Amino acid sequence: MRWHIALGTLSLLILVAVFGYIAVGEQARMQSFTEAYDARQIETGASLFETHCRTCHGPQGKGIVGVAPAINAADLFNGERLAAVGFSGTLTDYLEGVISAGRPVPSAGTNYPQRMPTWAQAYGGPLRKDQIESLVVFIENWEDRALAEVGAAPSAPSGTPIGTDITVSLPEGNADQGAALAQGAQGGCSACHELAAVGPPWAAAGDTPGVFVRASDRINESDYTGNANTAQQYLIESIVQPNAFVVSGYEAGIMPQDYAQRLTAQQVADLIAYMESLP
Amino acid sequence: MAIFRLHLPILDEIKEKGLRPALRDKTDDIVTRVTAGLSIQDVRSMLRDDPPGRPNPRLKPHSEGFWLHMKPTYYHNLVDGIYPTFRLGWLSTFFFVVEIVTGVLLMVYYTPSPEFAFTNMLDILSNVPFGRLIRDIHRLGAELMVAIVMLHALRTFLTGSYKKPRQFTWATGIILLLVTWLLSFSGYLLPWDQLSLWAVTIGVSMVEAIPPEVVGRTVNLLFRGAPEFGANGLLRWYLLHVVALPLAGIVFVGVHYYKVVLHGHSLPPDAEEVGEDTARRVPTDSRTYFFPHIATRELFYVVALTALIVIGALFVHAPLEPHADPLVTPLHSTAPWYFLWLQGMLKLGDKVIFGLIVPGVLIGGLLVLPYVEVGPSRRYGSRRIGLTAGLGLVFTFGVLSYMGSPWFAVQTSPEQEAVAELLPQTHPGPLRLADWEGFTVGTYEASAYDQAPTETLRSVLDEFEGSIEGIKIDGRSDYQGVIVIEDWQTNLKKLTLRILWTDDVTGKPGEYSQTVYLHKDSNYGQGE
Amino acid sequence: MTEAVAQAPMESGATERLPLSRREFLNYLWAMSMAVFMAGSGGAAVWFLYPRFRAGEFGGVFTIPVGELPPPDSAPKEFPEGRFWLSNIGQQTESDPRQPGDYPLQTGVRAIYKVCTHLGCLYKWVETNDRFECPCHGSKFLKTGTRVDGPARRNLDNFPIEVLDGQGNVIARTEPMMDNHEGSPVTITADAVTLRVDTGRRINGAPNSAPGGGM
Repeated sequence: MRWHIALGTLSLLILVAVFGYIAVGEQARMQSFTEAYDARQIETGASLFETHCRTCHGPQGKGIVGVAPAINAADLFNGERLAAVGFSGTLTDYLEGVISAGRPVPSAGTNYPQRMPTWAQAYGGPLRKDQIESLVVFIENWEDRALAEVGAAPSAPSGTPIGTDITVSLPEGNADQGAALAQGAQGGCSACHELAAVGPPWAAAGDTPGVFVRASDRINESDYTGNANTAQQYLIESIVQPNAFVVSGYEAGIMPQDYAQRLTAQQVADLIAYMESLP
Repeated sequence: MAIFRLHLPILDEIKEKGLRPALRDKTDDIVTRVTAGLSIQDVRSMLRDDPPGRPNPRLKPHSEGFWLHMKPTYYHNLVDGIYPTFRLGWLSTFFFVVEIVTGVLLMVYYTPSPEFAFTNMLDILSNVPFGRLIRDIHRLGAELMVAIVMLHALRTFLTGSYKKPRQFTWATGIILLLVTWLLSFSGYLLPWDQLSLWAVTIGVSMVEAIPPEVVGRTVNLLFRGAPEFGANGLLRWYLLHVVALPLAGIVFVGVHYYKVVLHGHSLPPDAEEVGEDTARRVPTDSRTYFFPHIATRELFYVVALTALIVIGALFVHAPLEPHADPLVTPLHSTAPWYFLWLQGMLKLGDKVIFGLIVPGVLIGGLLVLPYVEVGPSRRYGSRRIGLTAGLGLVFTFGVLSYMGSPWFAVQTSPEQEAVAELLPQTHPGPLRLADWEGFTVGTYEASAYDQAPTETLRSVLDEFEGSIEGIKIDGRSDYQGVIVIEDWQTNLKKLTLRILWTDDVTGKPGEYSQTVYLHKDSNYGQGE
Repeated sequence: MTEAVAQAPMESGATERLPLSRREFLNYLWAMSMAVFMAGSGGAAVWFLYPRFRAGEFGGVFTIPVGELPPPDSAPKEFPEGRFWLSNIGQQTESDPRQPGDYPLQTGVRAIYKVCTHLGCLYKWVETNDRFECPCHGSKFLKTGTRVDGPARRNLDNFPIEVLDGQGNVIARTEPMMDNHEGSPVTITADAVTLRVDTGRRINGAPNSAPGGGM
């Protein structure tokens, strides 16, 4: 029985030593867990951004003209945007608030046709509080790069703008480049015409044919108010003179009015070629 | 003029006997009261392992005290070693106490609400000193307790200790087995991570299958607190875990242990005449007294096991999966190991038969076993059929548990399985554990793994190629794997795993891809 | 089994002295190691249970940029989450005739706890009277935290402040003042960038019970 006593004493001393060993490292361990978990939240945020935010705010948060502002932008992180909207809290609070409650009213000087919806479950959206926090830390992780960039204004077209003459003859269009343009930040067409139904969808759906086929029918309809004589002219007109004719069921004034100055003839040709290639 | 006089008896004694004798007598008096009958002299003589006087004073703590009242004053020599009990009953109680202590400590920082539970877990791990240790001990203790309780039941069956007069002891033991299972299962839900939510959802869904339909639905709702597991369900299971089940456990342990002591620990089967129960009549020369021998031994076990658990908790950590998401079920979600047998049975057929009736019959059968199996002999030789049946049941348990594991007969598309080998959804996996710096930006084909620029990439691509080679689907050929690594944000990389194939019939290419974002500091594999 | 000196069994209750046997000694050693373990576990338990305050929570440290300080001699500025007022004591306040002589002052910034030292209500700043006044029982204090009237028995409590420059070095901090051990106000120099107010440590106000203020 004596070995019970000896081993018992030894076990207790080992226990005290183990506790001491753990105690010494606890501060550092807690710190490292906190950092690791913050990093994992950024990962979760990245994935959530791709699923929910990219369609309007663009890949890498650069914004889509006419759809949603850039988030990966210097003015968000240097206080300009907060001052412009008159927000008095921290950037974290601002991001959390906007993502949770949406934007029923646009910021002064902007008129994004679609309002940002609510995302927090508390306000009827799909995201939990921890998911919104993940998105916030992900967005905040853009700070270094956003501040390092020098003012990213939407790029001017490289070449002469097409202008508002719908009878202009177009060069050969490239459907792939048209696709890239439609989905990229400069064109931003997909956000309204493919990914959401803000504007008439380009793709065929059920009995309705695709936009290219519809174009030829529509110029012959009695309620057509525009000047196009061919399908191609109709499509050009829809891009450079959007309010010449608005399809019934859609509102005027939502399609950006300045594509005539922002796109070159080649770009418009590419877009039309892409539209034609859609089923 | 004194209205009252302060009367301190100790001062009188000091005046009478002198300071030192008076103090000594006072201390002796206190010790005798605290130990319920042992004076300093008796305690010292115990510590010296001297033979006790007559009458034996070391029996008084049992007869006159509260805490040791149920404890036997002596054990039969033949049962005071490791065999035949392996001390499993004692171990079960020990772990129950460990769970209560660590559980109460965790309760200080836990709120049973879906809004807070997961955050509280993160707090415990990141902002409470010894938080991770206590949680790991609690979880390790829980898993060990379930295993030990099951082994205890097995041992009792094998030595035939359930037979007359111990039938009711066995029945309360089966109830305690159920209580232990439910305690462990209800604790599973509390961290409110993906594992919690889905393991418990699957488990409780079986309750819905109780016929008739109205009973099943009612019981299901009672357990979940709502059509889907949420705040109400979490609160109910928390109350079960923290109040109802521990109370039931304590009550039944009380009854169970009382019966054990009443009848005495059963002797090894070959030490008794057949049909005779000699456990209570212990001749004086076969006795081992509790004080000091068994007490020393049990104290040693407590200390040594505590040390072992704490050291174990240094190496085996409780996992924490991502936050519970009622809309996403992770691939390879699994029930806790002691319920895998149930999952296995469910894969055999109808939910009602295999999820309810068969397990119900099994448990019921175990409960009434001693009232039905009334053979008088506990000897191994005369119980060949019973022992074979018992071991057969253990073997079936093992087979059903394997069948209940996610790798048996539940598979998604092979491409998903292949990617899941690198990017599992229930634990970090090789990709997340690899060195972040080794993931250089670029596009890499899995088959060209030996040309990878870094060692990390080489091993990851090699593993990817290995998983892809395991895919063999009719009608598809030419499988290739690609990993694309992009620099996404400061310290954040985006990895896309893509599997491409060619459809034999149409000649068209097919593709499956999965994306993951990896941060430099996310440090998986810390044993979170 | 026992290697101790064999003794005839003793009658219970006898208090004769037995020599210390080896087994007995080992048992005592075990008991002592158990006591050490209990003490250690107790310490670990206290550390486990002790509430922790994160920065920005009351009980933790608040970081305030110098730009948010009130100008010297102006009304104090409140920080509700930290439960304190920042009071900037300038020349005018230093020579306020209402200030009792027992509590000499320096210019600088003080972080004054919002809770009245009488019975725990939150006092208000009354601009027209240029002093703090507590609505519960009428205790009145100057901007410096010194009591000038009412049932409170000591000056207002304050929190220690550290002033940091751009590189994060501490260039000034609250020190105990010689006579009354109240925390001294911190001087804000040109290179100050942030202030750190530690709401986890509180400095009690000096005793002050004379009518009109004073010891």
